[in-house]
Amino acid sequence: MAGETVSRGFGLGRPGPRASAGVVWSVFRARLKIITRYKGAVFLESIIPVIFAGLPILLGAAVAGGEQNAANNFFAYTGTTGRTAADFRLYMLMGSNTFMVVTLMLWLIGYWVRREQETGTLEALYLTPAKRFHVLAGVTSYTFIRALIAFLVATVLGALLFNVNPLEGNFLAAVAYLVLGIPALWGISFFFGALVMRIKEANSVIQLLQWVLAFAMGVYFPVTVFPFLLRVVAMGFPPTLMNDAIRSTLLGIASIYGPWYVVLGLMLIAAWLVPLLGYEFFGWTERRVKRDQGVGQF
Amino acid sequence: MDAIIRVEHLSKTFTTKERKKGQKRKKTVNALRDVNLEVLDGENFGLLGPNGAGKTTLIKCLTTLLLPTSGAAFVNGYSVLDDEDSVRASLGCMLMGDRGLYWKLTGRENLDYFGALYHVPRPERKKRIEYLIDLLKLGDFSDRTVETYSSGQRMIVAFAKSLVNDAPILFLDEPTVTMDVPTARELRRIVKDLNDHGKTILYTTHLMHEAEELCDRVAIIDHGEIIALGTPRELKDSLGHEDVVSLEGIFPDATVSRLRAVPGVLEVAVSAEDDGRSKLDVMVENSRAMLPRIIEAVTGQGSTVEEIRPKEITLEDVFVAKTGRTLAVDTRVVGEKAVRGRGG
Repeated sequence: MAGETVSRGFGLGRPGPRASAGVVWSVFRARLKIITRYKGAVFLESIIPVIFAGLPILLGAAVAGGEQNAANNFFAYTGTTGRTAADFRLYMLMGSNTFMVVTLMLWLIGYWVRREQETGTLEALYLTPAKRFHVLAGVTSYTFIRALIAFLVATVLGALLFNVNPLEGNFLAAVAYLVLGIPALWGISFFFGALVMRIKEANSVIQLLQWVLAFAMGVYFPVTVFPFLLRVVAMGFPPTLMNDAIRSTLLGIASIYGPWYVVLGLMLIAAWLVPLLGYEFFGWTERRVKRDQGVGQF
Repeated sequence: MDAIIRVEHLSKTFTTKERKKGQKRKKTVNALRDVNLEVLDGENFGLLGPNGAGKTTLIKCLTTLLLPTSGAAFVNGYSVLDDEDSVRASLGCMLMGDRGLYWKLTGRENLDYFGALYHVPRPERKKRIEYLIDLLKLGDFSDRTVETYSSGQRMIVAFAKSLVNDAPILFLDEPTVTMDVPTARELRRIVKDLNDHGKTILYTTHLMHEAEELCDRVAIIDHGEIIALGTPRELKDSLGHEDVVSLEGIFPDATVSRLRAVPGVLEVAVSAEDDGRSKLDVMVENSRAMLPRIIEAVTGQGSTVEEIRPKEITLEDVFVAKTGRTLAVDTRVVGEKAVRGRGG
């Protein structure tokens, strides 16, 4: 044992890009390993949006007296440019899928903070010299892959079940909007993770927030039906923008935000600004927590 | 030898909320008060104190988990306030027992994960993990997920985790809790070996024999203050020619005040057990001469004495002498006025 155990420690001095990439990769890989050890978790969560989409479709048909009537009424009342019953189904399916991606992000990052707090691994993470940014990059990379898989599986399942063809619209552009919308979701998740670190309660906050989110982002309807003030707030909310961008691209309908370049511009701004603000808020909360009871307190 | 850990006038104050008669009130807790301390390079340093004494707060400040309210601390020459990453890179820590492991990962995967977070390069990490698996005899279970481990196995993997970055300083907080006797003995042997080969160790324990066996110097902390500091021998010698008489049985509260009133009795500490029994450690100048008077004071009036014996001075007695309380986890002070004496 002699000699081998008397080093002056690894990682003293500035770790290079390779070591930093190693942190991101290790966190990402560990999260993936953990979730794959919960059998069927990723597949099961992909079924949820299909069920969620089924509710308004069936309710609409029941109220309007047939699916085409429901579609006609819906598009006429909301001022949306869709036409067929298939458009109506796809509209609901995409809303539910995007909602799942948004709540998944909040759950995965908010619940990650809480779970690490409870198991003591958050304190263990803070004992290492790894930069918070690299750890969060690993976690967000994992949430990105998981959300993307869940979105694609849910879309395929929903397409088969509701007999719609998402490939009729610009599917690749819709996925691109999803990818572009995710950094803003990370930003919101950082706000959320910071709140969880501070208030130490994830479940009730997430439960409440996910329904507020569903309401504000227009899962089942365009937010143009809201009164003016609420509409402005909802439209300023990044998930609403992402939802609208995906839906308008897939269904070939007009975006409530305007032409495609406006949508793209807004998404780029959100992708840059929201994570920056979220990360700053996370860092600020972390310093506050370290002044008080410490990150490990739960 | 130079100081590898230096603590200068470190204080930590918490503001907590307490609920009294349905009203919330803010309460200020001084967890650390003007702590000054030096741990020398290569030293095995023991930090002793009862629950809530400030040990964990001090360790958390030194590991950058908490920001001190005032004062400064330096670990391996780096300031805990200004150079957090270098402080953390200088430390291997086992602070939360068997917590801090991912239960859905195997022991090996946990070590690899934390090795990466300590920036241990991949080839070295692989070698280091094999070395630790061999050193700590983890081979039988290192490829099973942690959720299948016994608590002792989890503790030993948590200990391995603290060694994965091969840091010059090790912080070990109650590392042998929940370990069986042979494993705990083996761990102490390894700690001693690591120390012999140059690692500085900050060791926290309630087990006095561990501190006496392992530590070059110990600091006793109570109410956020260092109340005694020195080698175990120096601390025990500081009690002069005092002896301890240990009594076990059932004692009414008045027994403590009666004992305290006996001339020649210097201190009485009480530790209560769940079944109504108590243990009294009576510090006297001469146990042989005092024994008849102690027996007289404790017998009768509802007392049942089950065991009475003089015992060797231990670090526990040093703590008792300084504070009037025992170091046991579930310490209960009976007869506050009676047991609070000098140095408290």
